[in-house]
Amino acid sequence: MSKQALVEVRGLKKTFKRKDGTVVEAVKGIDLDIYRGEVFSLLGPNGAGKSTTISMMSGLLTPTEGDACIGGFSITNQPLEAKKLLGVVPQEIALYPTLTARQNLEFFGRLYGLHGRELAASVDETLEFIDLRDRQKDRVDTFSGGMKRRVNIGVGLLHKPQLVYMDEPTVGVDPQSRRRILDTVIRLQQDRKMTVLYTTHLMEESQELSNRVGIIDHGQIIALGTVGELIQKVGEEDRLVFNVGEQPISEALLARFQTEVPGVTKATYETVELKPVAGMEESAELVVEKRSTGQMVVVRSGQVKDGTIVVYAKRGRKALPDLLRIANEMGVDVLSVEVREPDLEAVFLHLTGRALRD
Amino acid sequence: MDKIWSVAVNDLRVSFRDRSIWLSLVIIPLVIIFFIGLANGGFGGGGGGARLLVDTFDQDRSDLSAELLANLKVVNPDIMLCPADNNADDVCRLNGESLTEALATGRLTDGMVSATLVIPPDFGAKALAGEPVNVIYRSQNATGQTGPVLQALQAVLQRTGGAAVAARVGVEVFENSGLVGATFRDEAERTTFRQEIYDTARQTWNDLPPAVTFSESAEKEGRKPSGFSQSVPGIGTMYVMSTVLIGCLVLLTERKQWTFQRMLTMPVAPGQVVAGKMLARFVMGMIQYAVAFGFGLILGVYFGDSPLALLLIMVVFTLCCTAFALLLATFVKTEMQAGSLLNLVVLILAPLGGAWWPLEIVPQWMQTLGHLSPVAWAMEGFRNVIFHGGGVASVIPNVLVLLALTAVVFLIAVRRFKYE
Ligand SMILES: Nc1ncnc2c1ncn2[C@@H]1O[C@H](COP(=O)(O)OP(=O)(O)O)[C@@H](O)[C@H]1O
Ligand SMILES: [Mg+2]
Repeated sequence: MSKQALVEVRGLKKTFKRKDGTVVEAVKGIDLDIYRGEVFSLLGPNGAGKSTTISMMSGLLTPTEGDACIGGFSITNQPLEAKKLLGVVPQEIALYPTLTARQNLEFFGRLYGLHGRELAASVDETLEFIDLRDRQKDRVDTFSGGMKRRVNIGVGLLHKPQLVYMDEPTVGVDPQSRRRILDTVIRLQQDRKMTVLYTTHLMEESQELSNRVGIIDHGQIIALGTVGELIQKVGEEDRLVFNVGEQPISEALLARFQTEVPGVTKATYETVELKPVAGMEESAELVVEKRSTGQMVVVRSGQVKDGTIVVYAKRGRKALPDLLRIANEMGVDVLSVEVREPDLEAVFLHLTGRALRD
Repeated sequence: MDKIWSVAVNDLRVSFRDRSIWLSLVIIPLVIIFFIGLANGGFGGGGGGARLLVDTFDQDRSDLSAELLANLKVVNPDIMLCPADNNADDVCRLNGESLTEALATGRLTDGMVSATLVIPPDFGAKALAGEPVNVIYRSQNATGQTGPVLQALQAVLQRTGGAAVAARVGVEVFENSGLVGATFRDEAERTTFRQEIYDTARQTWNDLPPAVTFSESAEKEGRKPSGFSQSVPGIGTMYVMSTVLIGCLVLLTERKQWTFQRMLTMPVAPGQVVAGKMLARFVMGMIQYAVAFGFGLILGVYFGDSPLALLLIMVVFTLCCTAFALLLATFVKTEMQAGSLLNLVVLILAPLGGAWWPLEIVPQWMQTLGHLSPVAWAMEGFRNVIFHGGGVASVIPNVLVLLALTAVVFLIAVRRFKYE
């Protein structure tokens, strides 16, 4: 891949003034280049400033400072030229709910300057691409969340731009639809040779899709590079995550892990209060989101704590039998174990001391 | 321009997708137009607004004075003589008070009546004697401007005076004719003779067509303004106002559903988006007028002889509302807040400006106050055409006032407008 920058972002800042007079520095000065043909992802927790950055890069918000250029056109000074090169898929579903999928696409296509036959062809092609040809005459408000997301993406692709920004396109969709959307991104890059800026708070998505990742936190890029480059920053250690539920865990156990098992550098114990999902307080089983992994799990009603022991080890899989034996000797029943090779989650944890989902 | 048009067409498409539009654009306005029209006199001629109230003091109480008054009503049937013609509905709006000259003066300055007419005690005698008669006529009209009442009065006085002169001429001709025995035996005979000639002369006058231009429009049978001639433009204008002003919400809604933000990321200037939205509102306003006047035409309502003048007012008033919608859009923060604000604005400006009843029947101070409402300028224009037979020239001042207001409001709105 030739390293020719299609997008150049320099010193981008955005300060919001709230009504009560407080000032929010949502984006504190971002510099980055996005190369032609790559998928670049902005990975960061909610509120990190991803949407604000994309909004400034697409001409929706005026930067407090700095500028972004697309194909050499400044988004603040030559907005019309810059916007022609760009498709945007906002985080929100930005569609007319009472119009049909086709009517939505046709309208936005006109705003991109398409007409007549060219417009019809482009709408057909887009409907094909997002696999909604047979539902094109249905109103968008009759669609499932995943289908709306697909139309939302389709609108950004109508004028066949070289570049598309996608702001958390998988938020609020079922796993199947999410898979579909991720595949769409891959197709955009491989079949259409497009450049994609993709934001997410899910490190798995970043890791799978991107050529390069920028990790963003509190309005700043705190790390930038390929996934491999970023992971190297945290070294080679695996993380072993033991789920122990509500059982009490003694300091002695953690001490034995560190002293008796070769390769272990650190062992910590954390608990999380389990709160039932709103509306589920009365049911016998609770669905809760586990903080450690972000998965939705079902637990017994009445269980109030979710305890995890996290062990850092050089070669995690080799250390595992010893760790389990010691736990058994100490009378701790391990409910589940996960061995996590170094990933972007670990990078974020390493850089900020917080989990991505906090 | 292309993109502005696309935005407008899309906006209209979205608007008409919502079934409730038929309720607010067609059904409710038509029902209200119909009932207000009926209340204002419905299909019958005259209509509350067309009445010309004249406070009358007949100090003479002779046959001649009674006839003068009766003739006034023949020449212009819209004239109502107060208190003589007062009825159970209190058309004279006396509220049970008896009419004194002081009260009449007040009513005239308040604009409650068109004119005051005083017939002095010696009117009949003087007229018959061929002496100059004096009738006291006061109106709000500037001197030199002939109102419909004065026109009628002049026509009637001409007849009365003409007949009286003829009688006198007849007597003198008879006496000076030199014919043998051409003398009256006594004064009674002389009076009878004079009376006969007077009656003949008056009869001749009455057989001639009335020399009053005002009644021309009344002569075309069935082509008279009715209660609906007031309610169609009045209620129509009120609903145009709400239909267009609702436009201040359009951007709020589009922001909420993020379509506005999406458009801002596309190669289209934000001003084009807003212009398209406002164009759509303007079109909706004109559709609203078309619905109201179309309904009127179906009912066979008379709207004057100058459709062009009416169209001109409609266009300019709708334009003015569109500018206000844009201005309101820069203020409103929530749909709830906007909803109550709009109700308030419409419910104050519409009646104040004469959309519910003609401003001509309210006191002068209320008429003056009413002209703060753009509705008054539109309604005055409509009434000039429909009730007073005016053409394009008669509405030019109203059109200019509304255009000036539109320009000012538009400039303020554009200055206040923010896209973020
Ligand atoms: N219009 C706004 N007014 C005030 N604060 C805002 C506004 N938009 C975003 N913010 C704040 O800026 C920060 C970044 O928000 P955002 O860019 O939406 O984050 P992300 O997309 O990464 O979740 C947040 O703290 C958010 O509360
Ligand atoms: Mg966001």
